[in-house]
Amino acid sequence: MQRTAILGAIGLLAVAAVSSCTTPARHSPQSLNLFAWSEYVPWSVIDGFTRETGIAVNYETYASNEEMLAKLISGAQRYDLIQPSEYTAEALIKERRLMPIDWSKVPNIRNVGAQYQHLRHDPDQQYTVPWMVGSVGIVVNTAKVADDIKGYADVFREPHKGRIVVINDPREIVSWALATIGKDPNDVTPETLAQIEPLLRRWLPLVKVYDSDSPKTALLNGDVDLGIVWSGEAALLYRENPRFRYILPAEGAHQFIDSLAIPANAANPDAAMAFMNYILRPEVSRLISAEFPYTNPNLEARKLLSAAELANPASYPPGDPRLVTFGDIGPSAVQIDKLVTDLKAAS
Amino acid sequence: MRTTATAFAAPVGPSRPPTPTAWLLIAPLVLWVAVFVVAPTLIMLVYSVSTRGTLGGVVFGFTLENYAALLDRTYLYIIVRSIGFAAITTAICLLAAYPAAYRIGRAAERWRHRLLMLVMIPFWTSFLIRTYAWVTILKNEGPLNGLLVHYGLIGEPLELLYTSGAVVLGLVYTFLPFMILPIYASVEKLDPALVEAALDLGAAPLRAFWKVIVPLTAPGIRAGVLLVFIPALGIYAVNDILGGGRVDMIGNIIENQFKGTARNWPFGSALAVVLILAFALAFWLTSAQEAAEHRGAEEPAVTVP
Repeated sequence: MQRTAILGAIGLLAVAAVSSCTTPARHSPQSLNLFAWSEYVPWSVIDGFTRETGIAVNYETYASNEEMLAKLISGAQRYDLIQPSEYTAEALIKERRLMPIDWSKVPNIRNVGAQYQHLRHDPDQQYTVPWMVGSVGIVVNTAKVADDIKGYADVFREPHKGRIVVINDPREIVSWALATIGKDPNDVTPETLAQIEPLLRRWLPLVKVYDSDSPKTALLNGDVDLGIVWSGEAALLYRENPRFRYILPAEGAHQFIDSLAIPANAANPDAAMAFMNYILRPEVSRLISAEFPYTNPNLEARKLLSAAELANPASYPPGDPRLVTFGDIGPSAVQIDKLVTDLKAAS
Repeated sequence: MRTTATAFAAPVGPSRPPTPTAWLLIAPLVLWVAVFVVAPTLIMLVYSVSTRGTLGGVVFGFTLENYAALLDRTYLYIIVRSIGFAAITTAICLLAAYPAAYRIGRAAERWRHRLLMLVMIPFWTSFLIRTYAWVTILKNEGPLNGLLVHYGLIGEPLELLYTSGAVVLGLVYTFLPFMILPIYASVEKLDPALVEAALDLGAAPLRAFWKVIVPLTAPGIRAGVLLVFIPALGIYAVNDILGGGRVDMIGNIIENQFKGTARNWPFGSALAVVLILAFALAFWLTSAQEAAEHRGAEEPAVTVP
């Protein structure tokens, strides 16, 4: 999904470049520069917001948190609203790059479940509005894999060699190994990395495909039978065919929380807060869920979902899974990248 | 009669200093090169000696540690492997493109343009979409495996997608036109009388090919080799889509430093500088060869009795 989005982003950039020449007053109260993940904000929501408020939305997209950061800190463009994941929001808050939200302008925050607020990335709930919540878990094609898969250790076994797709993200890959040896996924130090190295050295040669853009493709095409993927991808697979079962690993899984936040240098924070309040309305939030079946943190919106939507185990996992959010790990990210690059080259 | 064919291909005009009008005419090009080539390269050089910023970006300074980090088994392996893939791609492209370009170049006038059009038609579709089309063709339950199994040529579907072979196939497919077009341009200029003369004077077809046709089309071959090798060395999308991203190419490593977990712009810049040096080396090697041939042209290389 993200690669097509890059093309989309280039297109939007071109449009933005042209419109910046023709409309000098783009930072008037009548426009909102939204910089968000590709394939994550339905056009019906953007159009509805513009119809109601008269505020035009410039929707520019990115495919990774780091790509967003790169453009944000380059300062080439001022954005009113960004959509960071929890660990990126934490880093931005630490660096004082976000603007506090005036909750009197966003009263609909009350619709968001208490379990999704005051988390480690924004302990005082000052800067972020939860957008969607998801997890990274295991997908099994039950028509091809008979064994009972409970966790990472069951996926990375010799009989599954060449039958596994995983998302191509060193931070995620390392977190699975950390969870397997009983460590917190945020406990990234040279010592813990040395501890998981032998495990990853065994695991990575078993992987057939690394794909963050659309890991569901290799599963749907029958090229692989197991995967560790975003829950939204798993939900779409399940919708396509219920033989694709989503399992949250017993060792613990990453729960990501994507939020809306306002950059400190935003030109139009009022429009940004109006947008936040708009998407928190149950009937609007419901539209987002229909298109992107992640876990909706808006409990009032959940009441409007169909029984089938709520029964999708990838969107609303049953039971009480162990979920951990990611924290900002600072420069350790370089070591993670190196470790996974080394092991991939060696496998 | 003592000469080689290349002498015909290298007319040397009188050199004069450019007039003010000439400067005016090339000013837009100079400006373009300054803004879009020189400036970004300088920025990259500066970044490559800086240190990593917290959120990405760089903290300016002077350090060589980003270059030191390159002297590492993994990165050297990845660089060598990337060069290998680019070289194999270039070789296959050359072998496949030469006969095609030659045939198109020697075709009758009214056919030539239609055939050239066929070479260029794929460009009407996005490169990514064409690459994803190969995923559909090569996948386990795809049409290629389906056909082979249907006709009993294989019992089980072959593992075609997500292999090194698929990566090379994708690279050759992507870059073939870049080899065909410059060779075609050289072939078109080739004077058939020279080939006939060689044959009339007793050269066997193979000898005529090596001694007359190849030297006369060498400029096209060199241009094609550069046009294929250089982008093939930096491209990473084909590796991701058709290779399953299992082994990184140098392009992947650079991408990861900017858009991935590491957020290490200085190191990414250092890698990019090395890649530019590799390009410069490839360019220098081909032009050195060209210069050598020109020098050789003044010597009696072929003596046709």
